Amino acid sequence: GSAGIWSGCTGDFDEINTSKTAITTLTPTELPYLFARAQQQASYAAGTYQTAQNLYADLFAQYFATTTPNFQSDRYFMHPTWINSHWNPIYTQVVPQLKTLFDQTDPASSQYALASIWWVFAFHRLTDYYGPVPYFDAGIPANSVKYDPQDKIYDDFFKRLAAATQVLKGKTTEKPYGSYDIIYAGDVNKWIKFANTLRLRLALRISKVDPARAKTEAEAAIAGGLLTATTDNAYMVKNLAGGDNNGLATISGWGEFRMSAAMESVLKGFEDPRIGIYFQPAFNTKTYEGLRNGLGPTELTDPLNTNDNNSNIGTLWIRNTGAGSAWDRQLAVRQDIMHTAEAHFLLAEAALNGWNTGGVTAQQAYENGIRASMEGWGITGAAVDAYIASTKTPVAPQDQQKSPPLSNITVKWGATEAIQREQVGTQKWLALYPDGIEAWAEVRRSRFPKLYSVVNSVNTDVPTSSYPRRIPFLLLEQQSNTEAVQAAASLLNGPDKASTPLWWDKN
Amino acid sequence: TTKGTTTNSAGQYSLTVDNNATVLIFSFIGSITQEIVVGDRSVIDVMLQEDSKQLNEVVVTALGIERNAKTLTYATQQIDGKKLVDVRDANFVNTLSGKVAGMVVTQGSSGPGSATRVVLRGNRSITGNNNALFVIDGVPVDNTVRGQVSSDFGGINGSDGANNINPDDIESMNVLKGPAASALYGSRAANGVIMITTKKGKAGKVSVDVNSGVQTESPFMLPKLQNTYGQGAGGKSSENAAASWGAPATTYPNNVKDFFRNAISTNNSVGIAGGTDKVQTYASYTHNYNQGILPNNDLVRHTLNLRLNSQITKRLTTDAKITYINQKVDNKPRSGEESSVTMNLYKVPRSVDLIGQYSAFEDANGKPTYWTSSGIYMNPYWTLNRTFAQETRNRVTALGSAKYDITDWLNVQGRLSYDWYTDRNSQSYSNNTLLFAGAGGSYQEFSLDQLERNMDVIISGNNKISNDFAITYNAGAGQTYNRFSQVGASTNGLSVANRFDLSFASALTQITGFSQKELQYVFGTASVSFRDYLTVDASVRNDWSSTLPPPYSYIYSSFGANFILSDAVKLPSWISFAKVRGSWAQVGNDAAPYSLAQTYVFSQGGTGGFISRSTQRPAENLKPEISSSTEIGADLRFLNGRLGVDFTYYNSNTVNQLLSLGLAPASGFATQFVNAGKINNKGFELTLTASPLKGNALTWDVSFNMARNINKIIELYPGIKSATLGGNTRTTTAVVAPGGSYGDLQAYGWAKDEQGRRLVNANGLPVVSAFQTIGNFNPKLTLGLNNTFSYKNFVLSFLVDGRVGGIMVSGTDGNLAYDGTAEYTLEHREGGWVLPGVTATGETNTKAVTAEQFWQTVSQGRYTWGEFFAYSTTNVRLRELSFGYNIPFPQNFFIKNARLSLTARNLFFLYRGDALMDIPGLKTRKLPFDPDVNISAANYQGSEYGALPSTRTVGLNLKLGF
Repeated sequence: GSAGIWSGCTGDFDEINTSKTAITTLTPTELPYLFARAQQQASYAAGTYQTAQNLYADLFAQYFATTTPNFQSDRYFMHPTWINSHWNPIYTQVVPQLKTLFDQTDPASSQYALASIWWVFAFHRLTDYYGPVPYFDAGIPANSVKYDPQDKIYDDFFKRLAAATQVLKGKTTEKPYGSYDIIYAGDVNKWIKFANTLRLRLALRISKVDPARAKTEAEAAIAGGLLTATTDNAYMVKNLAGGDNNGLATISGWGEFRMSAAMESVLKGFEDPRIGIYFQPAFNTKTYEGLRNGLGPTELTDPLNTNDNNSNIGTLWIRNTGAGSAWDRQLAVRQDIMHTAEAHFLLAEAALNGWNTGGVTAQQAYENGIRASMEGWGITGAAVDAYIASTKTPVAPQDQQKSPPLSNITVKWGATEAIQREQVGTQKWLALYPDGIEAWAEVRRSRFPKLYSVVNSVNTDVPTSSYPRRIPFLLLEQQSNTEAVQAAASLLNGPDKASTPLWWDKN
Repeated sequence: TTKGTTTNSAGQYSLTVDNNATVLIFSFIGSITQEIVVGDRSVIDVMLQEDSKQLNEVVVTALGIERNAKTLTYATQQIDGKKLVDVRDANFVNTLSGKVAGMVVTQGSSGPGSATRVVLRGNRSITGNNNALFVIDGVPVDNTVRGQVSSDFGGINGSDGANNINPDDIESMNVLKGPAASALYGSRAANGVIMITTKKGKAGKVSVDVNSGVQTESPFMLPKLQNTYGQGAGGKSSENAAASWGAPATTYPNNVKDFFRNAISTNNSVGIAGGTDKVQTYASYTHNYNQGILPNNDLVRHTLNLRLNSQITKRLTTDAKITYINQKVDNKPRSGEESSVTMNLYKVPRSVDLIGQYSAFEDANGKPTYWTSSGIYMNPYWTLNRTFAQETRNRVTALGSAKYDITDWLNVQGRLSYDWYTDRNSQSYSNNTLLFAGAGGSYQEFSLDQLERNMDVIISGNNKISNDFAITYNAGAGQTYNRFSQVGASTNGLSVANRFDLSFASALTQITGFSQKELQYVFGTASVSFRDYLTVDASVRNDWSSTLPPPYSYIYSSFGANFILSDAVKLPSWISFAKVRGSWAQVGNDAAPYSLAQTYVFSQGGTGGFISRSTQRPAENLKPEISSSTEIGADLRFLNGRLGVDFTYYNSNTVNQLLSLGLAPASGFATQFVNAGKINNKGFELTLTASPLKGNALTWDVSFNMARNINKIIELYPGIKSATLGGNTRTTTAVVAPGGSYGDLQAYGWAKDEQGRRLVNANGLPVVSAFQTIGNFNPKLTLGLNNTFSYKNFVLSFLVDGRVGGIMVSGTDGNLAYDGTAEYTLEHREGGWVLPGVTATGETNTKAVTAEQFWQTVSQGRYTWGEFFAYSTTNVRLRELSFGYNIPFPQNFFIKNARLSLTARNLFFLYRGDALMDIPGLKTRKLPFDPDVNISAANYQGSEYGALPSTRTVGLNLKLGF
């Protein structure tokens, strides 16, 4: 009856209900844009950088210390919602794009291989926060997504990296994703190096829990070729348009963190030329100053602990325009993803472990690492030679707590393996800057550098005498993925607390 | 034989009669029917008497058709347009508070031009709209509430559509509380309808109405601050401290109060009505100027209205109306925490001479000056003078309708209406504005364009089937088309500092938006009455929506009945009117546009931009939503109508809502679009009216209304424990969870052990609880009491309204506690405060703490344990007071009537609630803010954070009729 007559008028309904501002059918032309998105979101751009990384890993690695009493994560409070920004971008922005690429490209293609490497990059940062995470079923639309144990996840990491590098070796003339690869612009040779270095990073990560697998993976990675030149440094393009900003630069103008006392002790003690790049003199004192981690509200009102009396990060990211709180953020500056220097330090540790490094000694690799790091930040020549030969040691930062020097090691290669391991760990910590996520993971695994204990802890699970070993599962997951996160508790080495070490953490 | 006619709008009629013995029967709804024998007269003038036994109200129903209220099968409440122009607000919707049983009015916190939330019979939609629909002269008004603040970090609340309505043009208003109008307006009517009838011209002499008013506004309520201790920490003065935990010092008690201004507002309107038998015209112009209580913040609105009614032939009448509105809002303030003027103001330590030292807010280099270096909070004078927001709206609503009487019992009506507005919005942040300015400053600007077009054709008829039975019926078909588009850009950085135009952008980020939707429908309604005392209504409607998958269609219906007992049977004489009514109505609903297909969106950045899959999982098996509600009611009048009772009980179930619910992110999606849930709202509405005094000189009319709504979330969706309405863990999160009620508020609080004893840590300080439900934002009961006294030419009326129950959490209060600026932080500064509680091992606490330790534990300033800063929003206040004088003039004087009134709004609280938590060792803390003002007008309610204070208004109004 009337419905039949009426339906003549609904002929354009499907057209009306098709969005003009979005795409409903993807074509191959659009795939590179998806890869770019996955890259961008795995590195915590702009605002998410703070709660994903800066308020946790960056503090736990003691690159920075909090200057605002509002934020308690420096006192080990595990805010159950802040870290959503570490979780959500991986699952809702990285995984969907990469899974689309896995679906729409040939597994033997360079595009697939790059997506696979990036998958590992994104997930290793995630699993090293929590331990078990949804991995094998990630991105499968369901009301509940199961968690997987970390050893199984790591096993898949290695398989993926091995497969990807195998594919890429035969595709070195291709330019997958072209300029939409916002790290290497489709340079397959660099991606091979990146993947091998990542594989070596992960191999060393499991070197205490599974030494045999670690050795196998490490030697394969080394043989496959690591990052070597300064030009291999993995930097991500940033853009002012779209608010695609450098995360660290974005948050550096908010007056919420400054140089840590640990950084001050080491950089000042070693007379490290990178101090003026990583940080800038405090606004008031015109000297480099840091403060201890875990200060409480009253301690933070002490003049020694204020923003203007401590060092903000370097002028690469932010410049002071003449007043204490007037800062000009360099929002479009590149984001550091991985430095060549790290490959050398990983190699140094491999050598100390007695693995096959292709003839490179630990000392050579250690010194190469220092040179590579310096060169990456634009420092070359005699200053670097002097630094490598230096017998200077960390100093007391002369802070409010009258902290002692962080350590007594020198830059100059030490005599014992114990000292050498601490030197490698400490120099790698300096070279990883500002990647606190990797630095915190390595601090947990290697216990280097020997960081200060925090001044206060508000977390009864992690007293000041201890340190956080993981981030508890998210409140978001308790609400939206209840059964799975409850089941995941049994995959941990202890209760779902910040004090429970991860699978690879054997300290 | 029987024949009939109707009068024209001037009341004139003509009729040819057969003979002198003919009896003319004069009837008019609400009047006593009169029978007059013609005799030899050629002119018969009749003055119909008001029928006091009946309801006098003639109400405009959904169809735009006047109908006697007594025949309605559902609850309505009528408000005279005159009651809306005395006591005024920049947004007239705010003045409805307390006047309608069960209506909950909440203001957004961004001052004049902020959207207002109007909820009838409780909240039912989780991700959609809960606002009542506004209908003007039969045409729905676009009341899209744009850009509401969804987290306590804050923002600038956008405007809605209803705040453009000009009360000076309103003739009357009728509130349909249930979904009774859904046959005509579809799903939009599910939350009730506010039907507005505007003025029109009348045949006869030209009349001119002039209304002119001036009001002054000042903050109704400001936080109570301590005036003893200065900037510092631990009892010691320190200029590095952000807080006021220092030593006793010279303080500046008026820092906050003097920052606000006494705002002046004016409204001037002129309306001209006139016409002939054939054509009647009404034209009006209104100018509103509203200052905000913050300097630089104001709203200017021009409204031009022209209405033309004509009787082209005896059978053909037309109604045409065009309204043009131009509204400009300057510097609507941000609410919430970040860069809101109010938070910047409240954060100033008590010993800082804000006005003396910092009202000069920048140095010679254009850098902000302030008491300390903060990464978040700025000199509030900077915020006031160096951050800007502009909103300009141009809106045209046009309506044309024509009605043709096919016979004297059947007519056909066609209508076409447009509601179209364009907004141009910009925000500017000067160089060096913390958080918001890029290098050189930041700027954004966009235009949006909203169009709604309605077309319908309705055939209406009425027949007397027999002496006992009569039937009225309508059948219609229509189409509604909506289109929204926006375009603009923002830049975080200006290449030339502080040049606020996109021309100077460092890098443009585009702002675009487009959506459209078309709805087609057919409907039919019929009403059968038996001997005027039993009426049965039925309606059915079929919608076809472009947002649904084929066949796009869904159907829903309603039934109702009423029985006028007092007409059917002989009742005792003191019962003048008695009616019972009942109805059941379904409402169907479609989806938001573009919910069916997976979309991929582009964003700028990187080298050439990004494409990402939308984080919302599209609806796989989308079903149209159908919900139903039942109501029964009674309308009783006693003692010749001097006492009246209207009671309604309702019960509505909203099922299978089309929701965007959170999904475990590991699935690759943040949200999924599903049909889910069952939400029940039931409650009652009661209106009592009385005329205790009805003398010639002194009359006293009272009306009292009360309503209770009980909401229950029966189910949500398998595997999903709760859906979030908004907020975060910094203050409170509003949720919908099965077993609870809509708008349960969750927060951190003070942990208790199994015996219910409060837990303290080793230092004697509170231990934080889990993030858990601490209350609900909805009132349990709303009340309104209006009294009007008339003595000769004087009229005095006042309105008391109140709400009982519900809580709100104040982020502002959490900051004031943390900073040691709240008055209650004076207690226990010197220490010795032993909190009654036990340690984790069950030992009684003996450790003494200081106020500073206590407050800085339960509040980290920006991050508070919300339970400590939650307050009962129970309050009763003198909402309105109006004293009017009708100036008498001699007959035939050129001024026909004049009325001068002195009005006031938000005078004082008669009662206000206490803090949710009674903290041992502290005096009871009273509600320190006005719960009428919420962080936004969206579904995220129950949160106060940096809200602009509500205002107390005092005004003088002169109304002249010529």
